[in-house]
Amino acid sequence: MQHLVYDIVHVTEYDYQGAVSVSHHLLRLEPRRTPRQQCRHHEFQIFPKPSVVTSHGDYFGNRAHFIAVEYPHGSLSITSKARVAVSPAFLPDTSETPAWETVRSRCRVDRTWAALEANEYTHPSPLVHTSPEFADYALESFTRARPIFEALSDLMTRLQSDFRFDPTATTVSTPLADFHKNRRGVCQDFAHFLIACLRSIGLPARYVSGYLETDPPPGLLKLRGVDASHAWVSLFCPGIGWIDADPTNNCYASLRHISIGWGRDYGDISPVRGVLIGGTQQILRVSVDVSALSPDAGAEDAPTIQAGAAVSTASPSR
Amino acid sequence: MLETQQGTALIVAAGARRMADGMPAPHDECFGEGGRPRPQWAGMIDAVERLGTARLNARWDEGLRMIREHGVTYNVYGDPQGRDRPWSLDPVPLILSAPEWRDLEAGLIQRSRLLDLVLRDLYLGTQRLIVDGFIPPELVYSNPGFLRPCRGLPVVGQVMLHLYGADLIRSASGEWMIFADRTQSTSGAGYAHENRKVVSRVLPDEIREVSVRSLSPFFRSLRSILESLAPGRRENPVMVLLTPGPLNATYFEHAYLARHLGIPLVEGADLMVRDLRVCLKTLEGLQPVDVILRRVDDGFCDPLELRAESVLGVPGLVQVARAGHVTIANALGSGLLESPAFLAFLPALCRHLLDEDLLLPSVPTWWCGEAEGLRYVTGQLERLVIKPAFGLRRGRSWFGHQLAAADKARLLELIASRPQDFVAQECVLPSSAPVWTPRGFERRSVLLRAYVATDGSEHAVLPGGLTRVAASVEDPLVSMQGGAGSKDTWVLCSGEDDGEESLSAIPAHASTDRRLTGLPSRAADSLFWLGRYTERLEQRLRVLRCVLGQLASDTSPATSGRDDRLSHLLAGIGLLPVLAEAAAKEPSTLTGDPSATNSDNGPADLTRKVLEWIYRFDGPGSIPDLMGRIRQNAAAVRDRFSGDTWQILDRLVPQPDVPTTRRSIAHALGLVQGLILNLAAFNGLAMENMTRGPGWRFLDVGRRLERGFSMTTLMTAAAFVPGSPTPLLEVILDIADSGMTHRQRYFASARWPDVIEVLVRDESNPRALAFQLSAFRNHLDALQGEFRVGVDNRWSALIEGIQGRLLSAEFAREVSECEGFDLHTLIALMETCAQGLSGLSDDLTHRYFSHTYFRVS
Repeated sequence: MQHLVYDIVHVTEYDYQGAVSVSHHLLRLEPRRTPRQQCRHHEFQIFPKPSVVTSHGDYFGNRAHFIAVEYPHGSLSITSKARVAVSPAFLPDTSETPAWETVRSRCRVDRTWAALEANEYTHPSPLVHTSPEFADYALESFTRARPIFEALSDLMTRLQSDFRFDPTATTVSTPLADFHKNRRGVCQDFAHFLIACLRSIGLPARYVSGYLETDPPPGLLKLRGVDASHAWVSLFCPGIGWIDADPTNNCYASLRHISIGWGRDYGDISPVRGVLIGGTQQILRVSVDVSALSPDAGAEDAPTIQAGAAVSTASPSR
Repeated sequence: MLETQQGTALIVAAGARRMADGMPAPHDECFGEGGRPRPQWAGMIDAVERLGTARLNARWDEGLRMIREHGVTYNVYGDPQGRDRPWSLDPVPLILSAPEWRDLEAGLIQRSRLLDLVLRDLYLGTQRLIVDGFIPPELVYSNPGFLRPCRGLPVVGQVMLHLYGADLIRSASGEWMIFADRTQSTSGAGYAHENRKVVSRVLPDEIREVSVRSLSPFFRSLRSILESLAPGRRENPVMVLLTPGPLNATYFEHAYLARHLGIPLVEGADLMVRDLRVCLKTLEGLQPVDVILRRVDDGFCDPLELRAESVLGVPGLVQVARAGHVTIANALGSGLLESPAFLAFLPALCRHLLDEDLLLPSVPTWWCGEAEGLRYVTGQLERLVIKPAFGLRRGRSWFGHQLAAADKARLLELIASRPQDFVAQECVLPSSAPVWTPRGFERRSVLLRAYVATDGSEHAVLPGGLTRVAASVEDPLVSMQGGAGSKDTWVLCSGEDDGEESLSAIPAHASTDRRLTGLPSRAADSLFWLGRYTERLEQRLRVLRCVLGQLASDTSPATSGRDDRLSHLLAGIGLLPVLAEAAAKEPSTLTGDPSATNSDNGPADLTRKVLEWIYRFDGPGSIPDLMGRIRQNAAAVRDRFSGDTWQILDRLVPQPDVPTTRRSIAHALGLVQGLILNLAAFNGLAMENMTRGPGWRFLDVGRRLERGFSMTTLMTAAAFVPGSPTPLLEVILDIADSGMTHRQRYFASARWPDVIEVLVRDESNPRALAFQLSAFRNHLDALQGEFRVGVDNRWSALIEGIQGRLLSAEFAREVSECEGFDLHTLIALMETCAQGLSGLSDDLTHRYFSHTYFRVS
């Protein structure tokens, strides 16, 4: 199957009440390079012009940009533009995958880099705790010696019928327990819940932040979670690697999933995190547009700034 | 433990006494075999015998006085009464011999090197120790102390653990063991230094006779180590001590250390990140900081990348560290090794990393996250204490031998459900030492915290440390939060060591670093409000004193006309509604005053209201409220005041409940008078002892503003009081402490024109309005001229305008044509003046003191 190329425009805008004298933000918006994905171009347009922009690879290997606006400003607008080529994901025959207990024990005892990296994602994290209740929910699908991805498919199908996608039910800060109880939420809640289930039975699961293609190709249904950035889950299996699964849409990641990066939970990879000095309240607007291009679209018709170093020079406010 | 909150305390020691059945007796620090004194104690025992109980008591009273007067305190969390509890110290030190100390020192240095190597592998290296199986991955990856954003942050001199603290306990066999490693912001070294200062004053000859090693070289080393850590090895780096603030348990020590090391004490709000540098906000502008000695736990240091809810940190600090523009001691993330679970792995790590055996053993520790550890713990629960493996400071602990069978089963179940969250340590019976009490000597459990400072190549060990003492004989628990005491720790000199030098020879660093001349904005803020509140309190007290005086001199109904005028005046300055509110709270409790039940308008009623106000009222604007504000602002700039000044501030505390039978006008007068004199002493010390830097200027600006305000209020109120002015004007002169001035000048009873001359227009009378305005202008000129503090020129213009009208010939003429003088002119002018001053106060606050930040997620 051929790869697809997308142009992504992700706009985050804040209007402040009262002038903010200094703001610092950490952005995780540049899509990372993965075995099935290549970021051909990335740039930011930030208004007003930041006093400082610097970037680094974070603990999880994602690209993070630190921006500081060090003069009074009444609003902040961050536009992230990316061109990403996505190849088809490798999907093993689920019934041929190893028994899930094998994966659990190998992630505990193996001292290979891959297994140690996976070990990191078996523990509770700030936004995803583990519990016997989550384990019980998972174990209905993860029956004895069942192939791990067969069990995962089953678990996602159950999630799909037990939980409702409902953008009004939760916010970024809704605790996982509430989602579990009320059974409604958005992709972030679906992802966190699936991660909690998998970790509660000792499996390594990470949180992936990314995008979905906005307009479905002809004949395909529009997926859920296209209006903002999307989130899904990645599960590790020794010998196979990390496989991305989208519990919100009950499917494995495909050509229509574009990842930005990953961490233990949303907190590690939230697209924009910031601290304001001065100012009191803010109004936030986010929009995401993902459009498919011809597979050959390169970086040449995109603006000339190199990916990674790309911060455009919007003129400062005042 | 100093940093520990109640409950967890010293776990190894707890309960140990009660399980003494079949256990060896605790090690006695002082007496050895057959009850013979150990050699290192002989000199001390002689000295105590020579002194005798009476003299030792007398000397110790002196020591206690020093502690009070130095304001040595320890804050206890969760106890409103316990804030600023006086430090508890025992005159008899813990004494260690030179050879014994040599061994300890070697063990401490080894441990500090080892822990630093582990930290560097986990944060800077490839985590080989995990790959090679020396550290289980869970111990790091599921540890909340492992701060992922801090991985790979560059460090100067390849060292992360600059100041290491070891909590030591001596077992029954006489062997020292470490029961906890303090790796992130170790407290106590400053208290140890203060303890030495006090004890060497109480036992000056004794300390010389037995020749005790000096603590001062360690603090000099610590300072030069910090200096050497500046990024780029910059010379004369700017250094600060970052404190969580006055509510922290060990805030006294933060201020003490900052003063002693000669570096400014700052809170997170004093710092801000600009252009990838962390800067100190000063009135002169932002000053880049090179080195931060932190007392804020690492997770709280940066709300942008670490704990987002923290208000103690500096947004962007991690990014500055990432850019290599600041050194933070200890490095961010170093708190990881405070998880007691690491203790179980140190012996193997030591052999692997240093190719040596651990010189100083840990108290035997098992981590339940390992199958072997879990098995042992399950079988041996009775002899163990169970603690949380992570977050030592928050969780509770269980003593195996104290648990009933059912509880034991429940605990084992809990451990089995999340084994990696628990560690077990052997119960160790701490050694005991003699403690001086009013009842004579008692034997109590002791623990020692020791300190190592390093720049990565050289290690300095504090020869001594902070010895902590159980609160009572029965109590084997040693917890500062739980009321434990402390001791000085003497390490005796061997041939080659230097003896104790005279403490006065310690070079007293200037109050702040020479390179850092700026006054932190927050300090200016606190000083400004300290000035305002002390002045406001003084004004309140003066008014009350006057009123009490009047009430005391005559209570006959014939003079009730004057009381009416007094009530008018009090209403005018805004005190009467407050009085009414105070009285309403407690209708008639003044049993000492038989007329208390009289009608609402007589002098008795006024007496009742005033007394209520003095003894009972604690709402906004009350005396206890103002005192609280004074203490709060003073505490925030503790490092800027001398010990003498603190003694005075410490006397400004609300009076404990006075029994109603003792409440009377005379008693209240005494109270008020005492407070006025204390305030006068504070003002005098501030005048005489503070350098005329911007700090003093802001203190005085606050005072002048407040005094100017209250004078405008007083004059306006007086102008509105009907009837013959003379008696009232005398009261006003009295309130303004200017009766003498007036009498000397006019030899007559008070008349409006004279009073206006003295209290409004006289630029030489420190109580007069004109004096405040010209002092204020001088301060503005000095701030701008000498200290390069940006000043708005409109402020000077505003004051000049008011001064012009006050001092104008026209106003003077109107005043002198006194009989026809229209008081409305005065009232209008006072109104203009009050508005001007109020605007100035707002402008100052807005310009110099705004620090809040707001989080986006």
